[in-house]
Amino acid sequence: MISVKNLRKSFGHHEILKGINNHVEEREVVVVIGPSGSGKSTFLRCLNGLEVVTSGEIEIVGMKLTDPTTDIHKLRQHVGMVFQQFNLFKHLTILENITLGPRKVKKQAVAEANEIARELLAKVGLPGKEQRYPDELSGGQQQRVAIARALAMKPDVMLFDEPTSALDPEMVGEVLQVMKNLASEGMTMVVVTHEMGFAREVGHRVLFMDEGYIVEEGKPSDLFTNPQMERTKSFLAKVL
Amino acid sequence: MNVIWGNLPVILGGLALTIQYAVVAIILMVVIGLIAALMRLSKLAPMRWIASAYVEIFRSTPLLVQLFFIVLGLPAILPVNQWFGQLMYPILSAALTLSLNEGAYVTEIIRAGILGVDRGQKEAALSIGMTDFQTMRYVVLPQAFKRMIPPLVNQAAQTVKDTSLLAPVGVAELVYKGEIVIAATFASFTIWSLVAALYFVIIFSVSKCSAYLERRLQVDKR
Repeated sequence: MISVKNLRKSFGHHEILKGINNHVEEREVVVVIGPSGSGKSTFLRCLNGLEVVTSGEIEIVGMKLTDPTTDIHKLRQHVGMVFQQFNLFKHLTILENITLGPRKVKKQAVAEANEIARELLAKVGLPGKEQRYPDELSGGQQQRVAIARALAMKPDVMLFDEPTSALDPEMVGEVLQVMKNLASEGMTMVVVTHEMGFAREVGHRVLFMDEGYIVEEGKPSDLFTNPQMERTKSFLAKVL
Repeated sequence: MNVIWGNLPVILGGLALTIQYAVVAIILMVVIGLIAALMRLSKLAPMRWIASAYVEIFRSTPLLVQLFFIVLGLPAILPVNQWFGQLMYPILSAALTLSLNEGAYVTEIIRAGILGVDRGQKEAALSIGMTDFQTMRYVVLPQAFKRMIPPLVNQAAQTVKDTSLLAPVGVAELVYKGEIVIAATFASFTIWSLVAALYFVIIFSVSKCSAYLERRLQVDKR
């Protein structure tokens, strides 16, 4: 589903990603962990072209992202993304937030888009919030709407960029629960997070990143209990 | 009082022209400002250069000089009167020059408004597959517009005032008509008071409309 070859990314003279190789299978849930500044968010943002890669190849949902002839907008329709700061469209109602993409990008009829949006809102546990504005919702609710907004495009892959980092602790659980449900439905997911519990419970594979490299990867049961690399050990010792 | 009543039709005729020029210029300045602002934010360097040159030229010379140059100066070297008509050219060029001048300021207002929208909003729009145009049209501009209302209304008020500079190039608007009446009646104080009061009424109502508009947008779309 996702194949990354020798991905490098620099901002000016500063190299953030120093050669990333990985392959994500369909229905796989990959969790990316690592200290801040390790490049994990940049890696994720390269996967839907929000960051332009410096060199290397990315193939995702059957399209070559790094090929300049690829229609990046078409590609992004198949790759959903959830942001740390939710980024709901502040000027639109919850319903409009979810239907904007389907209506304008996929040219779906309003009635159909609204119906799908209502189903998705029920799915993320927020029925009846259609006419509210983002500011009227709690952080956890906003993030669940953001997930619904991404799902409305019927993506093949979902990318999560620290989806619970901006939330009050008591709201983390409701967002993780929605993500857990999504994983159990077989959605292919790449999740950058500090939630080790989630990584352990839901992740099929964990990548530990540090200083622009994937230092170590493996099944959560192996990586968390028996890390091989020194850097992984010291990171896990701090966060677990 | 007799001076006012007797000359009111003349003065109001000038007021009508002032309002017409102001309305045209306010509409055009927003259109021009939007286009130039988008050009200034374009990925293509030549677009940015053209827009920047336009803004700098019109902001760095006085409107009165621009009006003299375009309305009276250009016909001396170009057969613009033949192209647009002896009567039409002064009207069109005066309206356009005023619009271009105000548009330069509006460009900066709109540009700042667009840049003031949180980057995450744009990224979210792109992430659901929207094109740059759709992102601008459906997500960035609607949010930018709200914060642009106060400075835009300010600029609209300025535009109403700036129409008074059309008098020296022969547009028979409020100031021009005022001068004519004064030349005939010598009622300088009375007529200038009337002219000032008329400007005040127009601009004050424009400001009040905007306060209303702002409140409305604030309440139901935060």
